[in-house]
Amino acid sequence: MVQHPVRHKRHRNHDALIGYLFILPSLIGLGVFVLYPLVTSVYYGLTAWNGVSTPVFVGLQNYVYLFVHDIAFWPSLKATGLFVLMSVPSSLILGLALAMLLNRKLRGIRVFRTIFYLPVVLPSIATLTLWKFIYDPKFGFANEVLRALHLPTSMWLGSYTMALPAIVIIGLWGVGGTMIIFLAGLQSVPQELYEAARLDGGGDFAIFRRLTLPLISPILFLLLVMGIIGSMQAFNQPAVLTSGGPGFSTNLFMYSIYENAFQNQQFGLAEAQVWVLFIAIIIITIFTFRLSSMWVYTENDSE
Amino acid sequence: MVNTEKAIPVGPTRHRSRWTSRQLVVVVMIVGFSVIMLLPFFWMITTALKTNNGIYHLPPQFIPHSFDLANFGAGMRAVHFSRLFINTAIIAALSTIGSVASSMFVGYGLSRIRFPGRKIWFYVFVGSMMLPGIVSLIPMFRLYLSIGWYNTWLPLIVPAWFGNPFFIFLARQYYFSVPRSLDEAAKLDGAGHFTILTRIMIPMTRPVWITMAIFSFQGAWNDYLQPLVYLYSQPKWTLSLGMASFSGIYNTPWNEYMATDLIYMLPPLMIFFVAQKYFMQGLGSLGSASLR
Repeated sequence: MVQHPVRHKRHRNHDALIGYLFILPSLIGLGVFVLYPLVTSVYYGLTAWNGVSTPVFVGLQNYVYLFVHDIAFWPSLKATGLFVLMSVPSSLILGLALAMLLNRKLRGIRVFRTIFYLPVVLPSIATLTLWKFIYDPKFGFANEVLRALHLPTSMWLGSYTMALPAIVIIGLWGVGGTMIIFLAGLQSVPQELYEAARLDGGGDFAIFRRLTLPLISPILFLLLVMGIIGSMQAFNQPAVLTSGGPGFSTNLFMYSIYENAFQNQQFGLAEAQVWVLFIAIIIITIFTFRLSSMWVYTENDSE
Repeated sequence: MVNTEKAIPVGPTRHRSRWTSRQLVVVVMIVGFSVIMLLPFFWMITTALKTNNGIYHLPPQFIPHSFDLANFGAGMRAVHFSRLFINTAIIAALSTIGSVASSMFVGYGLSRIRFPGRKIWFYVFVGSMMLPGIVSLIPMFRLYLSIGWYNTWLPLIVPAWFGNPFFIFLARQYYFSVPRSLDEAAKLDGAGHFTILTRIMIPMTRPVWITMAIFSFQGAWNDYLQPLVYLYSQPKWTLSLGMASFSGIYNTPWNEYMATDLIYMLPPLMIFFVAQKYFMQGLGSLGSASLR
C-alpha cells in the first residue's frame, strides 16, 4: 500500500494514541492492582502493623520469626507440600484415565461427560459444606459406606492422619475439570495416527506410551503447572472444614497467612509469609519448566 | 478455531450393533464412575428432604422414611437467604459486566489497532496472570481501608472493570478470526474504532463474550476469600459467606443446611446446563493455546 509519507506518519501517531486509549483500562489496572501491591508488599513484609496502626519498619524480623520461632510455620509448609504431592498427581492420573475412558464414540457419551463435569460447576463452598456432612463421623455417608463394607470407620476431618487425605478426596470429586481439558487434547490428536499405529501392530500400551502421551504432553505440562500453583494456594478447604486442625495437619499455607493477618492482626508477619509462598511458587514453577524440556513434546523443534 | 465441538474428529464408523467384551468393560467402568460421582449429590438431596429425626437416625438412612419440605424455608430463613442472594447477584452482575466490557475493549485495541508496544503490553497483561492473588491481598486491604472501601462491595466490583488478563487473551484470539476486510469496509464508510467494536466485533464474537460472562459470573458467585476479607457486617454478606457460616453453628441442622445449599447451587448449575457448549469452548481454547 503506497501512502503519502507525511500523512502516513500522522496516521500512525493517531493510531498509537487510540491504541493506548483502548488498553488504558488494563494499564491502570496493572498499575493499581498489580504493580502497586507488588511493590508495597515487599515493604510491608519488613514492617510490623496491626491493620490500623502505621507500619513500623523492623527489617528482617518477620522472616527470622517465621523460620526460627513460629511453631506453625514449618508444619504449615509440610501440610501444604503433602497436599500438593497428594492432590496434583492423583488428579492428573485420574483425569487422564477418565478422559481416555470417555474419548470414544458411544451412544449417550455426552451425558456421562456432563455427569463427570458436574461437580466442577458447583460453588466451592457448597461442595465443601456438603462433604463436611459426608465426613460426619456419626451420621455421615462416608462412614456409612465403610460400615456397609465391614471396613473400619474413620474420624475423617477430625483425624490427624485422615484430615488431609479427606480434603484431597474432595478435590478428586472435581477431577472433571482436568478430565475435560485432557479430553480436548485427546480429540485434537489426528485419528489417522492411531489407525497407522494399529496397522503397524502397536499394542494398547505401546500406542499410549509412544503416541498419546507425547502428543498430549503439552497439556499434561500445562495442567501440572496449573495444578501445583493452584494447590499451593488452596484456602477454602481448611477455612471451611478444619480451621487448620487437628494440630497443624491441614494448616495449609494460605490459611495460615489469612489467620496471621485477619485473625491475629499481624499483617507484617503475614506479608512475609506471602513472600515465602510466592518465592516457593516461583522456584517450583521454574524447576517444573526446566524439567519439562525432558518430557514435553513440541511439534516443531526448529521453531 | 476455538470451537472444540467442531474439532471432534468423527472416528471410523464402528460396528454399533455388537458389543465386544472390551467395550462392555469400558461401559461398566464409565457407569460405575458416574454412580460414584453422583452419590454425593444423591446424599445431599435426600438429606435435604429428611426430617430432623431422619438425619440423626442411626444407622443413617440412605433413602429417607419420611420427607420434610419445610427444610428449604427454615434453612433459607436461618441464613437470611433472600438478602444474601440479592447481594451476591448484584455483585456478580456488576463485576461480570465490568470484566467483559473492559476485556472486549482492551482486546480490541491489542488485536485491531497497530501501535508501538502492543505486543509487549499483551505479554505483560497475560504475564500478570501468573502473579498469585494473595500477593496483592494485604496491600489492597490496607488501601481499601484507607479510602473507606472496607465493608463495602467496591473491592469486589471495581477491579473487574480494569480488564481481566485471561479474558483479554480470549478476546484477542477471537478477534483475529474476524476477517479484516470487514473493518476495512467499515473504515471506508467512515466508521471509527469504537463503532467497529460495537457494531461489528461484538455481534460477531458472541461466543467469546458469553464464555467470559459465564466464567466471570461463576467466579463472583463462588468467591469466598475476598468477601471474607472485605465484608464485615452480615447484611452486606454474599451467599458464600452465609453458607460457610451455617456450618459454624454447633449441632448443625444438616437437613436445612443441605436444602439451602441446593438452592445456592442452582444458578451456576442452571447456567451450566443452558450454556454447556460455551464452557467447553473456553476450556478448549486453553488446550489449543498450550498446543500452539
